[in-house]
Amino acid sequence: MLENMLNLSGTALEEEDFRTQRVFFTTDIPKLEYAWDCGVAIGNYLKGLKQGKLWGTYCKKCKRTVIPPRVFCEICFRNMDKWVELKDTGTVNTFSICYVTWDMKKLTYPQIPAVIEIDGATKGKGILHLLAEVDPQMVRVGMKVKAVWKPKSEREGAITDIKYFKPI
Amino acid sequence: MTKLKFPDAKTGKLAWKGDIPITSRYTSGVAGQRFFQALKEEEKILGTVCSKCEVTYVPMKLFCERCFAELNETVDVGDSGKLISFAVVHVDLDGKKINPPQIIGLIELGNSQAKIIHLLGETKPSDLKIGMVVKAVWKMPLGREGKITDIQHFKPL
Repeated sequence: MLENMLNLSGTALEEEDFRTQRVFFTTDIPKLEYAWDCGVAIGNYLKGLKQGKLWGTYCKKCKRTVIPPRVFCEICFRNMDKWVELKDTGTVNTFSICYVTWDMKKLTYPQIPAVIEIDGATKGKGILHLLAEVDPQMVRVGMKVKAVWKPKSEREGAITDIKYFKPI
Repeated sequence: MTKLKFPDAKTGKLAWKGDIPITSRYTSGVAGQRFFQALKEEEKILGTVCSKCEVTYVPMKLFCERCFAELNETVDVGDSGKLISFAVVHVDLDGKKINPPQIIGLIELGNSQAKIIHLLGETKPSDLKIGMVVKAVWKMPLGREGKITDIQHFKPL
């Protein structure tokens, strides 16, 4: 098939050639593990998610509450002044209706990634997550939504401890 | 470097752990395919000759690395040769002890001046001499996979 599509020099190989071992090859699955240091801010943010809480940080000089939390304010470069617990509700800032997955697989029922401004945070500050339990055609910017959490026993301190947001 | 823990009950999550799924396939190529085919099915070690540069390439190559000419002359260099050098290996890639130690030899095949690296077996380091003749010991045909390990090792004649 490839040969019909592209007129390139070289030897076109297909999965069949490997499966039937028509060609000699070596295969390798390297063990690539990483540990990414979350830092203080994201570390506590993830810990909070496990407890079903959303944490932000507040800068009193700029009067900004941000989520995800950072340890310093990127406007005035000072340390943030305090931790603020935020609600698990918010407003759709922007969204997209996706009929393909990240690796180009077709979806019959779309995924709806959205930026959600979290209640209690400064306007415009929010997180990227998914919307569900909603007709894709009915999603609007400005829509009020609420987090749907995984059961406590299944949470692992990850953003996926929130399954999705649904309209209130 | 500080060793990170996951998760830490006191300070929250310190490190996010994950893995990167990667699978690679490396094909032998046109010349490699013929080389391994001959190894697997005919017990032959093939090389290609560049008569202009007077070089024989083993494993065989399609192009001369020196003058970039296409190489059409294939030779069977035979499965025995002269031991040029050897090393006794006591640890593996991860630093674990190998017992008994492996002996790895550099072998010049036939009269080709082409050299390959392979294991030496059925011998011990004290019996090895630079310049001695060694010969390939082949795997049984059924166990062969078209890999250089289809030759189990070389042994002194």
